[in-house]
Amino acid sequence: MNKNNTKDSDRSLPKTDRRKFLKGAATSAAALAISPTAKAQDPSAYNASYTAPSYQQMQRDAGMVTPPEPDTRMVVRPGSDLMVQALKEMGIEFVTSNPGSSFEGIQESIANYGDPPNHLPEFITALHEESSVDMANGYAKSEGRPMVAMLHGTLGIQHASMSIFQAYHTGTPMLLLVGRDVGFIQAHTADDMAAMCRSFTKWDAQPTSLEECIDTLHEAYRQAVTPPTGPVMVVIDIELQKEEAQGFQLPPFRPAVIEGIDAATAKNIAQRLLNANNPRLETGPFRTPEGVESAVQLAELVGASTSTTAVAASMSFPQRHPMCGPGADTNYDFILGLEAASPDITLKRPIVNSLTAERDKMSIGFGSLRENYVPNPPGAEPTPMEEDQRANQGTLLTIDAQASIPIIISELSRLITPEQQRVINERKARHATANREAFLSALADAVEEKKRGWDLSPVSTARLYAELWPLIMNEDWCLASPTNFSGGHHRQLWEHNKPYSFLGTQGAGGMGYGLGASVGAALAARSRGRFVVNVQCDGDLNYAPGALWTAAHHELPMLAVMHNNRAWHQEYMFVQYLAGVRGRGTERGHIGCVLRDPFIDYSKMAESYGVASEGPIEDPTLLAAALNRGVESVKAGKPYLIDVITQPR
Amino acid sequence: MRRVLIGTITFLLGSIATSMAYSQELGPVNGNAEAGAQLYYDHGCHGCHGYSGYGRQDLNNTGSPWLMNVEVFRAFLRARANEAPILPSTSMPNYPQNSLSDEMVNDIYAYIRSLPDNRPETEDIPTLLNILEAAGQREFKK
Ligand SMILES: Cc1ncc(C[n+]2csc(CCOP(=O)(O)OP(=O)(O)O)c2C)c(N)n1
Ligand SMILES: [Mg+2]
Repeated sequence: MNKNNTKDSDRSLPKTDRRKFLKGAATSAAALAISPTAKAQDPSAYNASYTAPSYQQMQRDAGMVTPPEPDTRMVVRPGSDLMVQALKEMGIEFVTSNPGSSFEGIQESIANYGDPPNHLPEFITALHEESSVDMANGYAKSEGRPMVAMLHGTLGIQHASMSIFQAYHTGTPMLLLVGRDVGFIQAHTADDMAAMCRSFTKWDAQPTSLEECIDTLHEAYRQAVTPPTGPVMVVIDIELQKEEAQGFQLPPFRPAVIEGIDAATAKNIAQRLLNANNPRLETGPFRTPEGVESAVQLAELVGASTSTTAVAASMSFPQRHPMCGPGADTNYDFILGLEAASPDITLKRPIVNSLTAERDKMSIGFGSLRENYVPNPPGAEPTPMEEDQRANQGTLLTIDAQASIPIIISELSRLITPEQQRVINERKARHATANREAFLSALADAVEEKKRGWDLSPVSTARLYAELWPLIMNEDWCLASPTNFSGGHHRQLWEHNKPYSFLGTQGAGGMGYGLGASVGAALAARSRGRFVVNVQCDGDLNYAPGALWTAAHHELPMLAVMHNNRAWHQEYMFVQYLAGVRGRGTERGHIGCVLRDPFIDYSKMAESYGVASEGPIEDPTLLAAALNRGVESVKAGKPYLIDVITQPR
Repeated sequence: MRRVLIGTITFLLGSIATSMAYSQELGPVNGNAEAGAQLYYDHGCHGCHGYSGYGRQDLNNTGSPWLMNVEVFRAFLRARANEAPILPSTSMPNYPQNSLSDEMVNDIYAYIRSLPDNRPETEDIPTLLNILEAAGQREFKK
């Protein structure tokens, strides 16, 4: 049996541990009895709030204790068991949550229902709801599939809201299950709880019966993974979780059907790819690893050089695939855009901003999300900006590229002639050579660039990435944290060949995301023989550091290497700049922007959460050995944190 | 005000032209580098330029015309004082006289000029050699 299954119950404590635990309790009780502060208390304080003992207390004090009646189990097949069964059938691996009575039914079902219990889904303990949702974000970005974050009523939603907002901006699929308990604490509930973040969820529902709840869970999954993908919310009343399901039969889960282009359009594209002398694929991030696989197949089939977004987002074309790069000849005569703009034909799935008019109840407007938005409602007059974008995009088809590629491939297989195949093979060989040369030459330039300040202390951010790469290049790794503030040197120095190689940025620039997302990616990594690298900014770590404990508790392979510049450095530069512009002195720009006096000891912080750690390291010559210890630790399934004091940028 | 500004800009461009046209030689250093190091830190130069002149924007070995001599350097810091930055269009803060006196500018200049080159030969950095070599040998595997 999976040893994690009973981890949260003290039944799993070995006898000796339990004894130690009890002994500890006894010692502290004894300490309390003789504590001088206890003695020094003013006795009148007790009198003020004296209330008479209850009947039960008097009975107990008089020694008349009767054991409680053995409980007769009223509910044999609770509704929440069926909810958990539905999650199982949808393949949900993890439910991450901070406990709350409004979903105690589901929580108990995860813990006890099924064989083995607490498996598929496994309950992942989060110390903050923001971490829960960030975990779901990191997991989904690395796997291309949703997991569940469970939230406690109005309170849980509000703690989670910034992370939900970021997942929405990214279009990350995830299921947010919210417990609702009308009969308990009024402040924890609301009539329309999902309204609080309706502007930044794709879809929500509040079912009123168990049957409806199961249908809703199924539909929620389909909604989350169907473009426009995004977070969806289901509010589940405690009564539905606790009620007896009797003979209710769980309906089978029907997966989402995601439409691709029609056969005629596919044939047209296939012909143009074959007739071109130098076809080109421009690719953006796909939805799942299958999308990447299809794109690779297509590039190989037609011998097209291909662009990638692998240094910016997950689910991207592999960077060192022989077709990836500018190719032998950059005069492309037909460019097919697959989730990326093309002057000829672009296939692009809709993204969540196409829903904002309908969902944006708070008129947020969504800043940059709106700016890039090219709506395509039937019959609508395009604005000049849209017209311009469309001109540059050629024919824009708002359709899922991933679902369309197999249709194009099947047309190609029918059309391709032996002569065309021969030409394609030759072109592929030329592209492979050219792309390899392009990569190596860019790398050689990068190395010259990155060695600036190589021996400096504190450590240069480029050296941090450079020292790490040789230690992981032959391993299965996932870089899960954003890297923009630490210089992002992996972009030029590392190779991003897996759908999960790099998970990209926060989504909406919200700090505090990096740790949670890395822990979520490590959830995915744990059972897949992979480990996660998290280049952890100090500012980011301090929003919700409790996720470190989640990593320790669930034994997650996450290597956190700190970019510790002892500041919210981005903000320091802004304030400093303004102080200069206003001409009022430039000595106080650090106020409110630095994390010094005192410094925070992150190694101790990690240690206290149960994560092995070392540092602070300021001497760059000590870095490689420390990183090596870290890599060994995560390969053995244990999280590790290395505090590295770095140059600010 | 505007005229003063244009005057400064003209002077600035003139100085650069002069320093570039007549010599690639760096001007003399008069300030105190040690005092300059503290000022460099206190006034936030390290924010973008790193604690030792390497960072988002390098100061070392850049051949930047703004660092040719202390007069140009000072004019550069002052040119945009009390105005939104107009020339050159960088995100560098302004440093008017009441932020940094001429003497302080001299010291910071001395510190910048004292910064050692920190770009070892690639041949002397095994980590980087290893990265280059491994990339050359690697074949893409699905
Ligand atoms: C939730 C949130 N609060 C505040 C900010 C403003 N902000 C942007 S960058 C930044 C500093 C981040 O510090 P750190 O993560 O240590 O990175 P550094 O800039 O120091 O490299 C802050 C506070 C934000 N983006 N999100
Ligand atoms: Mg920082």
